[in-house]
Amino acid sequence: MASADKLINTDVPEKDVFALHFLRSLSNLRTQNPLNSPDKSIDRVRKIKKAAYVSMARAAGGNSRLWSRALLRRAAKDDNKSVRFSRRKRKVTWKISSKRRRSNQRAPVVEEAAERLRNLVPGGGGMETSKLMEETAHYIKCLSMQVKVMQCLVDGLSQK
Amino acid sequence: MSSSRRSRQASSSSRISDDQITDLISKLRQSIPEIRQNRRSNTVSASKVLQETCNYIRNLNKEADDLSDRLTQLLESIDPNSPQAAVIRSLING
Repeated sequence: MASADKLINTDVPEKDVFALHFLRSLSNLRTQNPLNSPDKSIDRVRKIKKAAYVSMARAAGGNSRLWSRALLRRAAKDDNKSVRFSRRKRKVTWKISSKRRRSNQRAPVVEEAAERLRNLVPGGGGMETSKLMEETAHYIKCLSMQVKVMQCLVDGLSQK
Repeated sequence: MSSSRRSRQASSSSRISDDQITDLISKLRQSIPEIRQNRRSNTVSASKVLQETCNYIRNLNKEADDLSDRLTQLLESIDPNSPQAAVIRSLING
């Protein structure tokens, strides 16, 4: 079947979009957790890391991408602290989707590598291989943009 | 809701051509700084690209971890009267 050559777009927003979302996230953290709160340092690190990923997902388009949607959903579940139950649910979902995916298998060596990739990309478990690659290309662009933003922030704050 | 999305993906993926797969693989290749040009068959290079992608994502996650660590330390120790704090404040409020 001839396919319509749809343009697969993997463009990501500019760096300042990521920076803005991240700074807003950080300032929200500040409001919720004043500096002299009894939070342990490791909890603070975890909150900042989570803010980084959530703001990245929002900057990248929120619900318009499968990976960002999955990331935001996971973050929301974490907040409700029902993690254990939802993890068990997700495992069942992966089993079902891998049965469906078998109809669209590429070469085994490719599928094997794709399986490892599925564990790294948010929401990858339910994606067919070609969709997975599209989402991955977008994801790694956004991730590297987010890392650049964080590096800039660290550099800026480190100057004496 | 997720099952309907999966069935939608299964039907739309049959329309994705091999050309588009090749295109996606080359896009992935371009996004990864370390990967070198591979003259071997498409299948072998596709698996290598995916492997390198996994490594790249793991590295980015590690970098994000380290930077979160550093950022936490810096934000905790920031002097509210320093120029850095003023810059942050203006960026957040502006």
